[in-house]
Amino acid sequence: MIGEMGSAQTDKGGEIQLERIKINARQMFVLIVLFEHGSAIVIPLGTSAKQDVWIAILLGLALGLLVFSVYGRLFRYYPDQPLIVYMQRIVGAPLGKLLGIVYVTYFLYIAARVLRDFGELLLTFAYPETPLFVLNAIMALVVMYGAYKGLEVLARTGELFLTLLYVLALSGFVLVLVSGIVDLSQLQPVLEEGWNRVWKTVFTETLYVPFGEMIVFTMLFPYTNNPAKVNRAAIAGMVFTGVNLAVIAAINMAVLGPDAASRSAFPLLDTIRRVQVAHFFERLDVFFMIALIIGGFFKISIFFYAGLVGAAHLFGISRHQRIVYPLGLLVLLLSVAIASNYAEHIYEGLKIVTFYLHIPLQIIIPVLLLVIAAIRRRFGQSTK
Amino acid sequence: MRRAITVIVSLAICAGLLSGCWSQKELTDLAFIVAIGLDKTEDGKYLVTFQVVNPGNVAGATQRGGGAAGVPVSIYTSTGDTLVEASRKASEKLSRLPYYAHTNLIVVGEEVAREGLSGVLDAMERGNQLRPTAHLVIARTYLAKDVLTVLTPIDKISANQIIKTIEFSSKNWGETVHVDIWGAIHCLATAGRNLVITGVTVEGDLKRGKRQENVQSSVPDARIKLEGLALFKNDRLVDWVDGPSSRGVLWLLDCIRQTNLTVSWKGKKEAINYQVVRAKTDVKAKVKDGRPVISVHIQAEGDVIETRVPIDLSDASMLFQLEKEIKKNLKQEVEEAIETAQRDKTDVFGFGEAVHRTDPRLWKKIESKWHDRYFPELDVTVTADMYIRRTGLRNKPYTPRG
Repeated sequence: MIGEMGSAQTDKGGEIQLERIKINARQMFVLIVLFEHGSAIVIPLGTSAKQDVWIAILLGLALGLLVFSVYGRLFRYYPDQPLIVYMQRIVGAPLGKLLGIVYVTYFLYIAARVLRDFGELLLTFAYPETPLFVLNAIMALVVMYGAYKGLEVLARTGELFLTLLYVLALSGFVLVLVSGIVDLSQLQPVLEEGWNRVWKTVFTETLYVPFGEMIVFTMLFPYTNNPAKVNRAAIAGMVFTGVNLAVIAAINMAVLGPDAASRSAFPLLDTIRRVQVAHFFERLDVFFMIALIIGGFFKISIFFYAGLVGAAHLFGISRHQRIVYPLGLLVLLLSVAIASNYAEHIYEGLKIVTFYLHIPLQIIIPVLLLVIAAIRRRFGQSTK
Repeated sequence: MRRAITVIVSLAICAGLLSGCWSQKELTDLAFIVAIGLDKTEDGKYLVTFQVVNPGNVAGATQRGGGAAGVPVSIYTSTGDTLVEASRKASEKLSRLPYYAHTNLIVVGEEVAREGLSGVLDAMERGNQLRPTAHLVIARTYLAKDVLTVLTPIDKISANQIIKTIEFSSKNWGETVHVDIWGAIHCLATAGRNLVITGVTVEGDLKRGKRQENVQSSVPDARIKLEGLALFKNDRLVDWVDGPSSRGVLWLLDCIRQTNLTVSWKGKKEAINYQVVRAKTDVKAKVKDGRPVISVHIQAEGDVIETRVPIDLSDASMLFQLEKEIKKNLKQEVEEAIETAQRDKTDVFGFGEAVHRTDPRLWKKIESKWHDRYFPELDVTVTADMYIRRTGLRNKPYTPRG
């Protein structure tokens, strides 16, 4: 059954064959971990919950898993097709195509947003005199190259980089602990303003970024060689990341205190900058830079790749490589054009994208799709 | 052919991108600023002092047999309405680009501190060059500029001298405290804790202190000296504490590592010297009848290191008596510190934070009136356990028999 995927084109009429690539469940896990960490470790994730941020992240994870179960179920219905293809089978071709365009746009737009995040971070803290476009262009070139080479290459690169990232993260973690700047009492009082503030953060921030963004993997699941294990790999990846992020957020809070952590543009950077061990291990900003670049690269790449494959499917392009450069250029230009300053960029991200893009596209539409698919399945007309 | 072009183009791109020359700055074009001093001019502008390293006179000094030709640091001053303006304006005098990544000391003049710190720290926290771990001290009696001009003998760069003095003095003696920009901003932004910063002053003849001869004499004409703790209320300096009560403040902040307590014995004052080796302070808040109360428990262990009276230290019961004396002494120190802070109506001990953690709801109600109304009348019980572990290489002191 798995082997047939490559030859799917002949019996599906106008549909495009998938890239003949296979990644295993472990690689999928790696990609998910890198993707989910992505920008979430560097941006102030959920800091509006103040010292309860870690609770907000864990709750976001719990609800995220619930949302993911929808994607997982859809994938089990259509194990050899990406979201954009089975969508057309669920709601019919015209509406499905329309939704497909919306999703492709969404993926590319978010890729552009993350690229902008990345550029802004580097610019603010390391390269104040370099134009945003140049930094973004360099990153975009790498991303385009990665996407051109395909998912398999990304996954293997990911395996390498995750190791590096983890060695860095662990040594950074130890240094933060050893330097004695962690003051756990700053996490108190727990639930100072009750559950309201926490839930508000969950439903406006942590559920969608990064956990709801798992929607993008519905485009990539068909590329695994063992569909049975994919769900487990994805859930393991999410839980692993969620716990990591909660620990990082708690440490940031315990080091910086609620005030500084919520005022900081990059809390993790501030935490790392405070590390001073034995007058020798200090000024470890480069740890942050590496985490930022690795995470940023994978997050942008995966969004971009999903958008790319989606567009290839929608417009009947046989090789996704052919549209890498046009779409890459689009993402690059978009990343520079979407906002005129950082504040506007963040405002759009928190207020507009969340409500008008994340909620409908990550939650409402997948749930509707699942309901329709389940109904069709029950009445025995799921495949035509 | 096509392959050759690809290779050449990608090599060209790599050469352009990987060399990292976009905003390169040559080492010889940078002025390393090690310390910044902040004062006010008469017309209300900031007078900013930059202590710049003279690289040739620091690094080369050992090779030239210690007698470096010039002074190790140079002082530049500049005025402006904001710090950044003054810093940019300094370029009129400075032949190199100011570089702040190695700035490790900020000296704030007393006058600026009395007017308020809040306008000062933002630029330091926002910029990406200056590290938030830079130390903060208050120039007492003298201007920050004066403090930075004094040349110092052992550590040639006076900023390093001040930092190391703070570090070792707070480890050994405990009347000074290390506060960095982070810590200061943290205190300023926390409702239940006010700021304490170590003072630094000049001892001797300031005019001669800035000449190279100052460090060529075994008794320098001017020395930099740490003196007292500045208590802040909100962002304004309100009072100085000195001597034992400044150590009392630091006991309460759990900043004491090692220190010495001298106690009287059988009527003889300052007779026995106890050295603290380890110490820990716990501050707990409770709510009694709707009012917060604080209990402080100090635990320390250490050795007897000097006696000036005949006492048999091999007798454990003596040691227990002595422990009581030490406890009394310590409590007095700490209570004095609390009284001073209560008189100044500024909670520098973070008691408010403790209340906040214990009872967030009550804290919400009293937060705005904490320093002025609740803190000055706060009940604080101080308890202590001071253990004597060892008494050095002798059990009993020698008795002079003529």
